[in-house]
Amino acid sequence: MNILSRITGFFLIFLLGPAIEPVMTQDYALMRDRMVREQIIGRGVTHRATLQAMRKVERHLFVDASLRKRAYDDNPLPIGFGQTISQPFIVAYMTSLIDPQPHFKVLEIGTGSGYQAAILAQITDSVYTIEIVPELGLKAKKLLHDLHYDNVEVITGDGYYGLPGKGPFDAIVVTAAAEHVPPPLIEQLKDGGKMIIPVGSPFMVQSLVLVTRKKGRIRTENLMSVRFVPFTRKENE
Amino acid sequence: MNRRLPWAVGFLSAGMIAFQLSLMQILSICQWSHFAYMVISVAMLGLGTSGTVLFFLKKKLLGRTELYVPALMILTSVSMVTILFFSGRVFGGFDSYLVFYEKRHYADLLLTYFVLFIPFFLGASALGLLYIRYASGIGKLYFADLTGSGLAGLLMLFLFWHFSPERLPVIIACFPLLAGILAIPAKGGRVIAGLGLIAGSLLLAGTMYPVKLPLSQYKSLSRTLLLPGARIMEKVNSPYGHLTRVQAKSLRYAPGLSLTYSGSVPVQEVLFNNGDWLGPVVAFDTSATDHFLDHATYALPFITGDPGSVFIAGAAAGLYADHAWVHGVQEIIAAQTNKAAVELLYRNSVIPEPSVHFVGIHPRTFLLSGSRYDLIILPETGSFGGSAGIHALEEQFLFTTQAFSQMWDCLTPDGMISATVWMDFPSRNSLKLLATLVQIAESKAPGSPAEHIMAVRSWATVTFVLKKSRITSREITKLMEFSRREQFDPLLYPGMGPSAGDHYNSLQDDSFFVAIERIMSPSVERKAFFKEYDFNIRPATDSKPYFSQFLKLNRLSKMRDVFGDASVPFLETGYLIVLVTFLQITAAALLFILLPLFLIKKPGRKKASPLVYFAAIGVGYMFVEMVFIRQYTVYFGDPLYAASAVLSAMLFFSGAGAFVSRKVVFENRRFGILMLFITGLLVILAAGLTPLLNSTAGFPLWLKLLLSFVITGPLSFLMGMMFPSGIRALSLQKKDDLIPWAWGVNGAFSVISTVLATILAVEFGFSIVMLVGAVAYFTAGQAVRFRLFSIFVS
Repeated sequence: MNILSRITGFFLIFLLGPAIEPVMTQDYALMRDRMVREQIIGRGVTHRATLQAMRKVERHLFVDASLRKRAYDDNPLPIGFGQTISQPFIVAYMTSLIDPQPHFKVLEIGTGSGYQAAILAQITDSVYTIEIVPELGLKAKKLLHDLHYDNVEVITGDGYYGLPGKGPFDAIVVTAAAEHVPPPLIEQLKDGGKMIIPVGSPFMVQSLVLVTRKKGRIRTENLMSVRFVPFTRKENE
Repeated sequence: MNRRLPWAVGFLSAGMIAFQLSLMQILSICQWSHFAYMVISVAMLGLGTSGTVLFFLKKKLLGRTELYVPALMILTSVSMVTILFFSGRVFGGFDSYLVFYEKRHYADLLLTYFVLFIPFFLGASALGLLYIRYASGIGKLYFADLTGSGLAGLLMLFLFWHFSPERLPVIIACFPLLAGILAIPAKGGRVIAGLGLIAGSLLLAGTMYPVKLPLSQYKSLSRTLLLPGARIMEKVNSPYGHLTRVQAKSLRYAPGLSLTYSGSVPVQEVLFNNGDWLGPVVAFDTSATDHFLDHATYALPFITGDPGSVFIAGAAAGLYADHAWVHGVQEIIAAQTNKAAVELLYRNSVIPEPSVHFVGIHPRTFLLSGSRYDLIILPETGSFGGSAGIHALEEQFLFTTQAFSQMWDCLTPDGMISATVWMDFPSRNSLKLLATLVQIAESKAPGSPAEHIMAVRSWATVTFVLKKSRITSREITKLMEFSRREQFDPLLYPGMGPSAGDHYNSLQDDSFFVAIERIMSPSVERKAFFKEYDFNIRPATDSKPYFSQFLKLNRLSKMRDVFGDASVPFLETGYLIVLVTFLQITAAALLFILLPLFLIKKPGRKKASPLVYFAAIGVGYMFVEMVFIRQYTVYFGDPLYAASAVLSAMLFFSGAGAFVSRKVVFENRRFGILMLFITGLLVILAAGLTPLLNSTAGFPLWLKLLLSFVITGPLSFLMGMMFPSGIRALSLQKKDDLIPWAWGVNGAFSVISTVLATILAVEFGFSIVMLVGAVAYFTAGQAVRFRLFSIFVS
């Protein structure tokens, strides 16, 4: 075998490596359970309903078939159209922050894969979710229908105006965050309601903005997605 | 030597440089601008590897140089066009975001490297073969090489205006084809001529079937085009970038708008440059009495003051000019370097001249006119949601301490500088900006910096205002009213109590406020904080103008612990990609250039010693070139044209040096002295170039150009003599075996230097890069002095 064919061989193995990896029968339920224990409870999320929902919703069905075995990894995954399915911890943390209750009516702006809507649908009575990219909206609608999430309504269109006819909402999740919060969404937030906005580049949510509306006063709270303590002298003192 | 050969070399070099520039633009559009480093490295690697191949095949190739050279030139042309046909795979196969996620993208990136490498390798092989074949007359060829490269830089400025990025490679591929045709020998060139015909047909096909460039799905433009009804209204080619104007009924931009705002946000057309967001194209509505930006922190200088004249540094597509205009400001000057964007604005908006005037010039250069303004507005820094650090290596000369100092001097007595920054977590942008403002206030208003700075914070942005005179109690009252009304939190004002900052928009802990407090502390305490903080928040300077570079390499392990391996690359993608490129390219240079040469034919210690000389001059030239390009960016009103002119001049002078070197016979000691002279000049420039450019920045353009030629010309002339003199000496000393080595080693070290120079600039500044360049020339001089390499040929 000459040197060229050896090099070509190695190159092909490298290129095809991921594809020819043997397919194993994965126990997704076990993986999900481990994900909840290690990634979510391990980082301090204790909201019971959220944990139950995260254990139940089959995340691997919301990602591309080629990425299924990585569905429960501790990171976001691409879903096409420049969007991602968020890291499991971020989904759980966001859900716990709005403290969803069974009677809640929740609006989600940015359906994406539909995973966040499915988690919310496990906990609450009704979830409305709006996706601006038609291809993503239709795909999520079909998937959620096939999985019998009958309490989720997927709407394809511009989420800027929310759903005035269906509001006000107990909680709003703005997963496709813009650089400003559309005023109509604030108006459709119930008094005492909460809105959550993840802030970050597609593969790294750096913080979450929690908006609460109470008696006409709007407060925000910036929460980091991970506990980052700057190394400063004061810290060491 | 065939008389047409120098012409062929000139055309080939022009084609290779033009192709390099074209690829840099295409990769900036399809991916991000930091891939420019990849192109430069790949090009240099092509040069270096050709040396290795020539070493092995020298005997075979030299016998029929007259046929192989034109064949290689034509194949260079063919490979340039072929790459374009596979552009979907080459430019869109990998995605810089997904490279950290999926193995497949890493493999695609490697494939891209390999494919892009081919034309440079083929072209460089033709050049290298000629240099070996005509080593004693290399001066003339090297002159043609450098002059062709220099002229290509200028030519591309023209081509970028008139041709779309996807069409350019086809046009550029004509140059190596022409070179090949010129090099075809009078006898026995039929086969080559046939090859030329095939290449010509490919070029024709490339012209007739233009390809579509694949954009990364994560580019702003890609995501915008997914919106319902999104339409591209206009595309503009320019050397400043490829502009795209997009319309969609759901495009609204109101950065960091107050959550209490219940009005409407207009639907706007948006301008993109190289697929990246530039800003909304404003309409200058004559009936408007209120502006939505009045409900964002941007309004702070208009709330606390009543400016009559405003200078907008970094006009983008006109949003801040529109805001100032709604406030009734009588004199608004908006400057930005992108002339194409300015022209587009004048075509698409009814600009209310003379109140509002846009100029296509670097804002700092415009301020040299001496006019005074009540308010200077800077473009926002950072981005909503973080930019994943893709701008980390962008030189932002508007945010250096020298820039703020200049702006301060251009303020009226009660004038203000306003700068808005996106909140980021962990805090970086806001802290670095404040550190810069404090440093300026301290130097311009000693004793009371805190009396000149105020800031408000919303859920998303912070706006800082630096005022030339002391901030009054009336202004503080207005700031408080504004904050209450819009539910913002005052962040800084003179006499502010410790509990005032966290009323409406709370943060998880007080680390941000502690950081603000320490930055506002006296200088010693502040500097200690810079050292202790996990990110680099020291003010940027003209020598280190990387405002958006925050990563401290010694804190990487902590970042990995906190954010996880998968997330860390997105903290500062731009810088990390350059670091990765450096490692890859160093490994590739060792693997493909140095290792084969060492393994196959060990030259012996003494015999290999001339290579120290060729390695050193490779490092030296690239380092000096890099500093010159960067330092002239701000010096001229039009950095692109002027930097191109300076670079072309540098190459031309180097070419002239190469040409003259044919007639010069050096004696070793004198050559050593010449090297010391170059070293001395570089040391002087390392210390004095920035001050010299700053002190003469106000000169007329012709005088500045003249001065730049005086600075770069003689130096480039001398540096241009080094490589051909060395090759000629090897040839005349009958050390022909070493010529491919010299070519390869010079290429390998140039490869490594292109990326290393950037890393050194980020970590230590341009002055140090220039000093390392000086050390490299000193080393080359010493190599000659101590007879590692004798340049002397009797």
